Amino acid sequence: MLVSAIVFLLLALPWTFAPDGQTHASWQQFLGRFHPLAVHLPIGLLLLVPVLEIGGRIRPSLREAAGFVLGCAAICSIGAVVLGILLAHGGGFAKEAVRGHMWAGLILTIAVITCTLLRSSWITGQSSFLYPVVLLAVLALTAWTGHQGGALTYGKTYLTEFAPTFIKQLGPHKTYPSVDPVSVYVTRIQPILDSNCITCHSGAKVKGGLQLDTYAHLMDGGSSDEDIVASHPEKSLLFTRITLPTDHPKLMPSEGKPPLTPKDIAWIRAWIQQGASPSSTTLVGMELKPAHTDDPIPQVGDYSGLTSQIEQIESTLGIKLDRVSARAADGLVLRTIGVSQKFSDADLAKLEPFAPYIVDAELGHTRVTDNSFAILAKMSHLRAIHLEETPIDGRNLKQLTSLSELRYLNLSSTKVTKQALNDITPLKTLQHIYTYNTPAAPVPVP
Amino acid sequence: MKQHPLCTDIEHGPTILDLPIDSGLKHEWAELQTRRHFLGRAGKVMGWAALASLGSGEALMGLARESQQRSAPLPSPETLRLPNFAPKAQRAIYLFMSGGPPQMDLFDYKPKLAALFDTDMPDSVRGAQRLTGMSSGQSRFPIAPSHWGFKQYGKQGAWISDLLPYTGKMADDIAIIRSTNTDAINHEPAIMLMNTGNMNTGKPCLGSWLSYGLGSMNNNLPTFMVMMTKKNEEENNQPTSSRLWSSGFLSSEHAGVSLRSAGDPVLYLNNPQGVDSAVRRKMLDAVSEINRQTYEELGDPETHSRIAQYEMAYRMQTSVPELTDLSKEPKTTWDLYGPEARVPGTFAYNCLMARRMAERGVRFTQIYKRGWDVHTHAVGLLPMLCGETDRGAYALVTDLKQRGLLDDTLVVWSGEFGRTVYSQGGITKEDYGRDHHPRCFTTWMAGGGTKPGITFGETDDFSYNVVKDSVPVRDFNATILHCLGIDHNKLTFKAQGLDQKLTGTTPAKVVDELLL
Repeated sequence: MLVSAIVFLLLALPWTFAPDGQTHASWQQFLGRFHPLAVHLPIGLLLLVPVLEIGGRIRPSLREAAGFVLGCAAICSIGAVVLGILLAHGGGFAKEAVRGHMWAGLILTIAVITCTLLRSSWITGQSSFLYPVVLLAVLALTAWTGHQGGALTYGKTYLTEFAPTFIKQLGPHKTYPSVDPVSVYVTRIQPILDSNCITCHSGAKVKGGLQLDTYAHLMDGGSSDEDIVASHPEKSLLFTRITLPTDHPKLMPSEGKPPLTPKDIAWIRAWIQQGASPSSTTLVGMELKPAHTDDPIPQVGDYSGLTSQIEQIESTLGIKLDRVSARAADGLVLRTIGVSQKFSDADLAKLEPFAPYIVDAELGHTRVTDNSFAILAKMSHLRAIHLEETPIDGRNLKQLTSLSELRYLNLSSTKVTKQALNDITPLKTLQHIYTYNTPAAPVPVP
Repeated sequence: MKQHPLCTDIEHGPTILDLPIDSGLKHEWAELQTRRHFLGRAGKVMGWAALASLGSGEALMGLARESQQRSAPLPSPETLRLPNFAPKAQRAIYLFMSGGPPQMDLFDYKPKLAALFDTDMPDSVRGAQRLTGMSSGQSRFPIAPSHWGFKQYGKQGAWISDLLPYTGKMADDIAIIRSTNTDAINHEPAIMLMNTGNMNTGKPCLGSWLSYGLGSMNNNLPTFMVMMTKKNEEENNQPTSSRLWSSGFLSSEHAGVSLRSAGDPVLYLNNPQGVDSAVRRKMLDAVSEINRQTYEELGDPETHSRIAQYEMAYRMQTSVPELTDLSKEPKTTWDLYGPEARVPGTFAYNCLMARRMAERGVRFTQIYKRGWDVHTHAVGLLPMLCGETDRGAYALVTDLKQRGLLDDTLVVWSGEFGRTVYSQGGITKEDYGRDHHPRCFTTWMAGGGTKPGITFGETDDFSYNVVKDSVPVRDFNATILHCLGIDHNKLTFKAQGLDQKLTGTTPAKVVDELLL
């Protein structure tokens, strides 16, 4: 009778103190925060039970102790569950986040009570297999519940984060749709994270288990799980934390760093609201003008897979393929000035694998000839070409007309002629063309 | 510097034991010292010993080695994630007018002053400002209007002095900043502030920050080069020193390499007689090997710098002669820069060299021209100073422009402060002198993403106080960094417990109005 009353009361708890994502009376939080501490007591006691039962086969006194320990475990479990529910209710946890752990804990406690009851009949030899089976189930449930609790506290990836790769591959990992380099995410959202968040949330520093350097990391979230809930900014922890009042201790960015601007927040809100997509290129209600209105920089594709080849070609040819900026999508600058005396068309041809990523080809003072234009034409994102003091005469210049982003062409001190220049008149984007000290140069006004 | 007695660092310089005091006291001090040292050290040693006996000794050594290796890679452009955004300027050339050019004689046109010749400057203009010791004793501060006329140049109609006819010709290529101002009133602190963002020595200068943050574009030449202009004995040459291109707490690889103004541009660069390139290479390989061993033993990153500097010097054996060989320069070059450019060490020559360095991928070139410290005889000295610098600066900007390099090269012209409107040491119809003046001075920038053909900032009728669009040194430097793709708050280095940066701790801002 007493037992069923306790079980009934336990089952009533989740409804009386439902976790609703709000923080509640401080006494609940105060007591609730002892849950992670108190919970280890019943775990320890439960693990002791099978040891005592098995040991009891050799020394019967141990078996006597097992009953007592199991009773203690049942009482402690009840206490831990009550504290846990107080924590979930008082600490402002979202229902979805703690539901699994809460029910597992409740069921575990009821199972332990059942176990205690079954044991008395097992001792007398009435049911020979029921108690061991339930005990095993209790142990399995303990492990599962404990793991869930741990994941709540330390984050889902806590255990596996530093595991060797072969272990990591065993586990399930989410796959995300690929990121579009011209998407709102790349052009507007990631830059906000880059300039405000990643000093503490990427690389060596991963505060709160949260990394914000890539789309996958952003969507994986941190310790508290639901970092971004697509279409629900109000449920997304990231959004909540950046919109707290300025004096709130949990406001992000923390530690006195300036809060995000209303504009940045508006972008993040709109992006989450409209699905947190990695590929969408429009956001309803947001004007998609790039930050630098005068000079939008076309983005190149992802070349991170080529890093080792880039390093290799740099050392073989003695050239440099420098990033334009920290944003990889801004492309690469090809610098040849260190080896200009020997850099030739053949060397340039070796750079073909990197052609789509080079936005600035600095070939001044090298030995490249008009044959190089075929390869330059493959560098589809070229914005600037330096060919000053090279042996070119411009006969193949028309091959450059396919370069739709070309803005700067330096042909100073070459043999380029006026006729050759006529070939590139279709290039409407070209803003600067330099022909100083060439046959094509305008006669200087004295 | 006096060392705190509790500080257990290795001491440099004189100690208590060197003082002329009673030997008994010295003995007592020494005893206290050693006991304190012993206790201080013993605590740590015991801790380590206990730890070592807990784990195996080998594991601990491994740990120590690992921590050493981990600390070894110094921040590089790669790890700094620089440039922060796509830069407009790839490189910069800084024409430093050391001594403080008088703004009201060159750019800051004050026609109303003519009527106030030799009248006393109103006290309200100066306010409570403390003057330098050179003019604070003066009984009166007579206004000295500029001796020279001004004309308007370019589409922007910038007022520029008759002293600078060539600069006038490029008025539409430059952004004149009349409201630059500094906190320092004397040369050394002011020139340090301009260069390093701090009046005290020991901080890295702009070029070193750029070298550290952006790295090299051409491994055969230094990233940061400095050229001193030959001294003109008739001018008032206040001293400059290598502190101005020091790397401060950054690795010494980032220090500026200065070219000499006469003779060999770099001393001891050529192989001595009887040593050919192969022998030199073999010697360097051996030295490098020894240095590498030293590094493994001691882990001092300066050893890396040493290796890098040897290698750089070796590569410079071929790259510097090529850089300084002007025989292939076309006639148009000499027409533009003038005949002076043929004489090594002149300002014009240095400007031509700066263009050649820009072509060869040198990230930052700084040219110093001394002599602007016109405390007396300004009327005689200024035509000389302007004659030496005006054409070179114009030729450099124009040359970069015609060769298509001004788009991504930032040129900066600046001194460390301005000069007073009142005359120092008396005034006559024919001559005056001007004292140091920190509250306003004129600078200009060209290319590299700055807005051409504008005049920015205003001063009061006496060219004494900034009245509109003030540009303090930190904002000036933040703007330069911005042109090179750097957020001045993000280019930092941890030293003395602080994330140090060029613009210092006072919030600085990029002057957007100067940018394209």
